[in-house]
Amino acid sequence: MGPGYLISLRRQRNLLDFALGSLWRARWKNGGIVVVFSLVIFIIASFRLMVAGLEQASTAVLATVPDITVQRLVAGRQMPVPLWWVEESGAVFGIRSIKPRVWGYYFHETSGANFTIIGVEDFPGGEPLPGVAMQAVSADEQVEENQFSPVVLGQAVHQMLALGDRVNVSLFRPDLTLKGFSVVGLFAPQTGLVTDDLMVMAIDDARDLFALAPHNATDLLISVPNPLEVDTIAQKLMAKLPGSRVITKAQIGKTYNAAFGWRSGFGMICLIGTVAAFVILAWDKAAGLSPEQRREVALLKTLGWQTGDVMAIRFMESLVVCVVAFLVGTGLAWAHIVFTDGFLFKPLLLGWSVLRPSLSPVPVIRFDDVLIIFVMSVVPYLAATIVPAWRGAMIRADATL
Amino acid sequence: MIIRLHEVHKFYNRDTPRQVHAVRGVSLAVQEGEAVCISGPSGSGKSTLLGIIGGFFVPTSGLAEVAGVKLARLPDRFLTSYRRDYIGFIPQRFPVIGAMSVLANVILPLLPLGVEQRESEERGRQLLTRLNITHKQNMPAAELSGGELQRLVIARALINDPPIILADEPTAHLDSALSTQFISIMSECRAEGKTVVIASHDPLVFQSSLIDRHLILEDGAMVAG
Repeated sequence: MGPGYLISLRRQRNLLDFALGSLWRARWKNGGIVVVFSLVIFIIASFRLMVAGLEQASTAVLATVPDITVQRLVAGRQMPVPLWWVEESGAVFGIRSIKPRVWGYYFHETSGANFTIIGVEDFPGGEPLPGVAMQAVSADEQVEENQFSPVVLGQAVHQMLALGDRVNVSLFRPDLTLKGFSVVGLFAPQTGLVTDDLMVMAIDDARDLFALAPHNATDLLISVPNPLEVDTIAQKLMAKLPGSRVITKAQIGKTYNAAFGWRSGFGMICLIGTVAAFVILAWDKAAGLSPEQRREVALLKTLGWQTGDVMAIRFMESLVVCVVAFLVGTGLAWAHIVFTDGFLFKPLLLGWSVLRPSLSPVPVIRFDDVLIIFVMSVVPYLAATIVPAWRGAMIRADATL
Repeated sequence: MIIRLHEVHKFYNRDTPRQVHAVRGVSLAVQEGEAVCISGPSGSGKSTLLGIIGGFFVPTSGLAEVAGVKLARLPDRFLTSYRRDYIGFIPQRFPVIGAMSVLANVILPLLPLGVEQRESEERGRQLLTRLNITHKQNMPAAELSGGELQRLVIARALINDPPIILADEPTAHLDSALSTQFISIMSECRAEGKTVVIASHDPLVFQSSLIDRHLILEDGAMVAG
């Protein structure tokens, strides 16, 4: 490194020292700006981190959705699907598998929550939900053979049933007789958005619980190996099964985006207003140099400081304010998501999850999210202060004469 | 000649109803190491003339050459560099950044030069010792008395070791004891070979032994000297 670089580095350090001193001299005013700016960044960052967490969660949800779901509608209402539809659908070329499913809601009076019951084939032998992590519960010794049916619960259901170390639970059939279940597993906490309110069991147990006829299912889950053929197969199924409603994974994704995207878009518009208000405040603060500040700039120019030197210290001051506010605001937002489940934005963004007993969003920090937070907060502030800083730095040295 | 002015004119608000002809055809030559006092009544153009020599104002016409630098043609950026390299300026009201320490105020001119902090402070302390206010170095400048403030400003003007010292009405707000002290410090500077130009209408200054030449301005024109 040559002496020119060293001098330049020392110069920057000297100017930074001066800028820090200058910030400290006006610590109450600058402290106030940092507090307000941190609050703005906290709101933006909380919202963005929440949105990012939910985007990831909706991706996880879609991963568990079958390629095609077939339901039956009668007079516009969903009705049970007869199992002969399975054989009928099997005749369509390009389908890998067709699995009937029984599902419905179970109102749990004690907790006042609705649980989602899903009955699937190959249970408990296979995965209760494909690709969804599960913790096994060793209940073998407590299960009385032929009396209790196996079930896998979401974490929130387990909590709301207040099972503790117990593994047996009874649910009411429609005729108010009890059906016993033994918990053989819990879905992993990180799958909460998908599984929190779930009770997954064998399809026959679900039929028994809902008093559904043995030859019926709620819907059919169809797997298609070639994604390019999904739409064509869906059209063929609709033609083959009169009264059917055929839903593809892409359509479900669009529905998520429509509901969730609208909410986040609305939120972002509100936040842009917040940022705009703060930028106006920043501009006003930077533009209105006090007589004392004007004298200080004139003095520095008298002492041989270039306009660029004065601008550099103003830029450094703004940068320090931004960085401190950015760290504080983003840190608080992180804490807000981790420790309070993002309670400020939960009602706005998760209004559709009222059926779920609870949701603990797992915060995700990605580089592009941090970049978005930075661009939405720090860049407008710097841009708002740079022109007034330049105008302030143009004060002439002769003002001291 | 370290300072050479020839037929210098300076107008403010030229070609407007508020036009002021502040300096009218002033010619002046100052030798290196000379001490000159420019006096005259208020509004006679003393500060403007000092400002032209210091590179604060560009003359409207005429030649202004200081230390070989022709000031009339220099853009603002180079005038700043010129001030930094050649001029130690002592303004009238001793402006300082009151919340900063005395030492920090003294080393202000060195910050954009990239001088190491330790070296700057060492140079600042030496000057404060020489001017007998080293014991106040860590005190906020706002808490200094008038005389101490004056010495701070002198130390700051000398920190770059400039060849020319310009002082604008330096004794206007000082009592006679402090004015005498100022003259004494300037005498030391002149003894070191620095050129001293003082704008003052204080007889204590222009009649002192420090001054080699006394110039009188009236209504922007040089009438004596």
